[in-house]
Amino acid sequence: MSLDTSTLAAGGAAAAAQGAPAMRARARTGMVEFAATAACVVVAVALMLAFGGSYNLYILNLVLLASIGAIGLNLLMGTAGQVSIGNAAFLTTGAFATVWCERNGIMFPYSLAVAMFAAGLFGAIVGLPALRIKGLYLILATMAAHFLALFLAEKYQFALVGSAGFIVDPVVNAGSLVGNQRQWAMLLTGFVLVVMLGATWLQHGRTGRAWRMIRDREDAAPAMGIPTARYKLTAFVISSAIIGLQGALTAHFAGNVSSESFTLHVAIAALAMILIGGLGSIAGSVIGAAVVTLLPYVTPSVVETLLGSPGAGMHAARISLILYGVLIIFFIGYARDGVKGWIVNLWKFLRKRAGGTMPGASNARM
Amino acid sequence: MDLLAVSIVGGLSLGAIYALITLGLVLGFRATDTLNFSHGQFMLLAAYLTGKWQASTNLPFVVVALAALVIVAIVGALLYRVVLQRMVGLPHFMPVIATLGFAAVADGIMGIIFGAQEFVIDVPGLPEGHITIFGARFSQASIVLTIFGFGLALAVAAALHYTDMGRRVRAAGQDPLLASQGGIKVHTIYLGSWAISTALAGVAGIVHSSSTVVTPGMIELALLAFPAMLLGGLDSIGGAIVGGAIVGLLQGFVAAYLGGEYVNVVTYVALLLVMLFLPEGFFGTKKVSRV
Repeated sequence: MSLDTSTLAAGGAAAAAQGAPAMRARARTGMVEFAATAACVVVAVALMLAFGGSYNLYILNLVLLASIGAIGLNLLMGTAGQVSIGNAAFLTTGAFATVWCERNGIMFPYSLAVAMFAAGLFGAIVGLPALRIKGLYLILATMAAHFLALFLAEKYQFALVGSAGFIVDPVVNAGSLVGNQRQWAMLLTGFVLVVMLGATWLQHGRTGRAWRMIRDREDAAPAMGIPTARYKLTAFVISSAIIGLQGALTAHFAGNVSSESFTLHVAIAALAMILIGGLGSIAGSVIGAAVVTLLPYVTPSVVETLLGSPGAGMHAARISLILYGVLIIFFIGYARDGVKGWIVNLWKFLRKRAGGTMPGASNARM
Repeated sequence: MDLLAVSIVGGLSLGAIYALITLGLVLGFRATDTLNFSHGQFMLLAAYLTGKWQASTNLPFVVVALAALVIVAIVGALLYRVVLQRMVGLPHFMPVIATLGFAAVADGIMGIIFGAQEFVIDVPGLPEGHITIFGARFSQASIVLTIFGFGLALAVAAALHYTDMGRRVRAAGQDPLLASQGGIKVHTIYLGSWAISTALAGVAGIVHSSSTVVTPGMIELALLAFPAMLLGGLDSIGGAIVGGAIVGLLQGFVAAYLGGEYVNVVTYVALLLVMLFLPEGFFGTKKVSRV
């Protein structure tokens, strides 16, 4: 483990040495990040509600949905340092739990709770091996979990409805396309803000400190009195429950659920989101979710104008897949604090130019 | 009796493919401590190139296949040089995620270039007939390919054990610092390891698709080889071959007695079980972690 020392300094050790002021400064940075991100999200949604058509609103809603899951994954991977490529498995759990609820008469708002519980439970099961294994092994364990979850989902689906998949209650009914998308946008914004607030609160309290310690110096964490097993499990459960929430909401939003839509590529796209945005950052999760979700809609037209090849639209999904991959490699190799890191650096640079100093500023991944 | 024969012979022919795949994965792992999640893409690339060139040119199979393997090896070496070498010193999982990213890139590019076409690979000189073992019929071609697969895997393993070059590769894998002090060009060795690793994936891809059409579904074989790698002990060259054979046999028995749809799922369950109860595999290096 050779993480930059600044991360550690800003994390457990220095905070303990400097005592409460450092922690308070850190919490303040977190609230600043939350407030700024929330303001951006609200303004973007408000603008879209005022001026956007149903298609633009639809894409906005996809971004909001992706943001929820990206924040969940980022808590697990970015903050707690537990690698997971099982994102699609938790989405599947959330979506299929929703289907199960509907077939058993549990309706919309309550079914969300069931879906989150189911995904959290599955997260705990996947997290159990994580108590014994770490790093590379954990990647393999979550990969196995991915294929196991999909196998079960497929079995369930084919036993009941076959390859077409399940129809799910679309929840909102405003009578028009635009109206439906508007209602969804408002609903999802609410969810995103709540998840963001919860994640900020977790990150900057005792739990977040323990998670960062486990991420940076797992072997040393128990010596500092951190019960690593409990915190690792907590990370898995909370992260999976949030991703399950995304799965459940997506099922209602799309109006149908089919096991074949949850591929390993979905998990790779989720990894791309948090790596692009910035590991451990809530603002970064939202930025990454926006970039990755918009890519397939933007690329075909860009490629068509650049290359003048009208066939580009056909390959939109594949071109975006290539871009996800390139971005993952780029941000791991060359810009490990992601877009959020760039923004923080730009901000610092501007403040320096203006002659001031930013209180409590830290570029550390949180 | 014939079901047993089907399980064993069918399992071993799968096992030969897994042995080749796993050996490649182990070579890459020894060089950079990286699990290569794009190994299957290298298999597919070699198979696609061989199939495409066989369909569009009149060159003999050996030339076509060797050309495909050289290209695959170059791509593998580039992956090491451009991507993985930059990630030395990062947390262990970062380069692994990077190979996952590369897998996405390769999936996209191959989908665009080869997506709509179907290729078959015709290996000349394979016997056409069938052979009966304990009352079950097998194509002679699959038997020959099985023997070839295990033979090649054993030959590579032997070369790594007994030649000077192989000794360098093993030394660089065991202790890079000491090896470089001993005059071994570690980066060159790693580059070569990745080239050979991906070329072995290519061989596995060509062998596998010579009995069926070239399909992207082949990629999952490389993911299913991870249990074999774990069983062998992640970094053991001999263990890779044993692990490959065991996973092949397991799949053979599952396919024969439970049905084809359970093959993959049982393999992934086996992966979890091995990880929990036998994390160092049969031949792996024991690791001690210190604060």
